[in-house]
Amino acid sequence: MPSPLGGDNRLVTGDHGPTAWSGLPRLDLPPVTAALAHSHGDALRAVWGHVNSDDELLIASAARIDEAERQDLRSSGFSIVDGGHVDPPSVLRAAEPGRLWLLTSGSTGRPKRVGHTLHSLTTVTGRQPPRRWLLPYSPGTYAWWQLVTLSLTQPSQDLVCVEPDEIDQWPQLAAREGVTAVSGTPTFWRQALWGSAPALRELGLEQVTLGGEPVDQTVLDALRETFPAARISWIYASSEAGASIAVHDGRAGFPQEWLGHHTPGRPLLKVDGEELVLESPHHAEGLAGVIRTGDRVDVVDGRVHIVGRIAGDEINVGGSKISAAAVRDALQAHPDVAWASVKGRRAPIVGTIVTADVVVTREVTEAELVAHCQRRLPDYGIPRRFRFLDEIPFKETLKSDV
Amino acid sequence: MTTISRDRVRNLMAAVLKTQGKTLPNDDAADLRDIGFRSLDFSELALRVEDEIGYELNFDAPGLRQIETVGDVLDFLEQLQVA
Repeated sequence: MPSPLGGDNRLVTGDHGPTAWSGLPRLDLPPVTAALAHSHGDALRAVWGHVNSDDELLIASAARIDEAERQDLRSSGFSIVDGGHVDPPSVLRAAEPGRLWLLTSGSTGRPKRVGHTLHSLTTVTGRQPPRRWLLPYSPGTYAWWQLVTLSLTQPSQDLVCVEPDEIDQWPQLAAREGVTAVSGTPTFWRQALWGSAPALRELGLEQVTLGGEPVDQTVLDALRETFPAARISWIYASSEAGASIAVHDGRAGFPQEWLGHHTPGRPLLKVDGEELVLESPHHAEGLAGVIRTGDRVDVVDGRVHIVGRIAGDEINVGGSKISAAAVRDALQAHPDVAWASVKGRRAPIVGTIVTADVVVTREVTEAELVAHCQRRLPDYGIPRRFRFLDEIPFKETLKSDV
Repeated sequence: MTTISRDRVRNLMAAVLKTQGKTLPNDDAADLRDIGFRSLDFSELALRVEDEIGYELNFDAPGLRQIETVGDVLDFLEQLQVA
């Protein structure tokens, strides 16, 4: 394969000094490999091996692969490459050249394998301004591949990788390495705004991107205030549908007129009932046509807001139904709430009541939060039990609720 | 098995009402409708009791009955803890 356009882009990882794609060693991997990455360096070397060999490859953070998953992969024909150790497949099969596999986040059950190629994962094709990107996502996830394919296919798109144990210090790493663009989940950004706001202001980012979770106006406004000169974008994407929506106007939701609007080469967006459905040119293997996203939308003032998963979002309080996402958004609109997560809890009499975990920026009483919610939610939607956490819970996916 | 006192349950009931901007009167005969103590408040109170005693209350045990006053709530939750 000819050297990709991004071959000279700089890669900064924790396990070796800065290098370029073209400076990575050419790994000799088995023809069907599941590469368990203990670092971004492991993962990027496997990607470079795929670029040069076209061999079938799945990359996942080693922490995500338990013994059952490992055996499942082996019985599906994968060799497990874990550091210097190779576990052969328990069932042999022919390799599928060019195939890349992603594991879904598993938020709706056991992770599924979703088939892509470098081509289907490359969703940014227009020439981009030179940028040095922070790469905080877990290796092998869709968001991780988005930045990796951008760096592979476009010149002047460097990557500065953050390992999970460095995530709290990413603003310092970004400052040291001259990062100009950062992509993360809303939870990632809330955590940074809550814990490192002064350091963030020093960064002078040109591009701020959010995705992977519902994006509300509060976090967008906080980012705008922190990064007045940056382009602020939010992306709706999934392993199955690919990147389908990109919004750059700094507002939550996307314009309602995008619904049903067909532009060749672009996703077609629709709402069925309260569910977002779409047809995407960036879809995974076998998912051509309409994809039911399972995500609930809410149309408000001409904007279509993607508020959360349909399954699990609804809390039934004595027969009255409230969206957990709506309660979460109401709480996060409080100026002293840095983050909130809302769930139903089994309760006598009414069956379920609404409970909330919150992280606050100053001392706030339950009564204050209740009064705030009373102005925004029906009675049955107001959280009845609060847990005040010391810090925003953070998982390797950079999400709170997975 | 851990239980909490009637006075403690009363304090928790007062806390539930206070969060809603309401006040619990001292009189056990006070009517729940008059003080605005509703089913949601009762549910919250039960969870607060459960969180303190560390186990779920068994609402089936004594059978639900008419609960009209503050005293009825306290009696009922006292009864549930020993059921």
